[in-house]
Amino acid sequence: MFLINCPYCGERDQSEFSAGGEAHIVRPKQPTELSDDQWAEFLFMRKNIKGIQLERWNHAHGCRKWFNMVRDTSNDKIHAVYKMGEKPPIK
Amino acid sequence: MLNYNSPINDTKKYPEIEISEVEPIIKLNLRGKNRDFITKVGKVLSIIPPTDPNTSSGNDNLSILWLGPDEWMVYANDKNALNDRGILEDKLFNEISKVKLGSVTNVTDHLVMINIRGNKVFELLSTGCPFNFNDFMNSKGATTQTLLNHVDIIIHNKNVNDLNLFVRRSFSNHLWSWINDSASRL
Repeated sequence: MFLINCPYCGERDQSEFSAGGEAHIVRPKQPTELSDDQWAEFLFMRKNIKGIQLERWNHAHGCRKWFNMVRDTSNDKIHAVYKMGEKPPIK
Repeated sequence: MLNYNSPINDTKKYPEIEISEVEPIIKLNLRGKNRDFITKVGKVLSIIPPTDPNTSSGNDNLSILWLGPDEWMVYANDKNALNDRGILEDKLFNEISKVKLGSVTNVTDHLVMINIRGNKVFELLSTGCPFNFNDFMNSKGATTQTLLNHVDIIIHNKNVNDLNLFVRRSFSNHLWSWINDSASRL
């Protein structure tokens, strides 16, 4: 069983959550001034790290809140969870 | 309520378990973030919405369930409260939605309430639910949103071995069949 500690509801099974991809990707302030390549870079390109990655998750079948997670993608170990807007506890 | 069609309208009894649909019951969804919102809801309903996760508060007529840090659900404890439905909704709407303190949504027809009681209630839920009921079953008033047989549900632990389960109307028949099937095999 893969348990995730929702920062609002507490520890729940992974089946209640959905993954939202890499976290802390900043939307460009003036999208109209970007070239197609720069826009595609923002929109599609992700690091897909093998190791510790900062991710967004949603407690879809619980409180429906988004939050961030520090997860090791190689072994699924969750190092920390933190709320949206907070700084990652691990660099 | 106008033209309310009960989707299940049934009661089933099994050894140590009784399952019934309790309808029509008023259900209102409340959303708001600031302290003024919580104070206002407290004033209108005479119940302060719980801020502790997975808890509920209530009086003889109403219960308020914590659904999230900025979301609650109010429901009536018995069918007779239906007569006051409009008054309750209007009052909350005027005091909260109209002054933009938060939002009030009537979810009476959106959710179906199923009451499950008996000694094997949690045994029944554990057959299709990823939630850990160890602490939940002993805390009266505990509430949670989770999955049962892959269907989203809200559970309110009303009393010892007596809980109310809320499910979306479109899933209610399917879940009702599943619960009955599961209960018959315990």
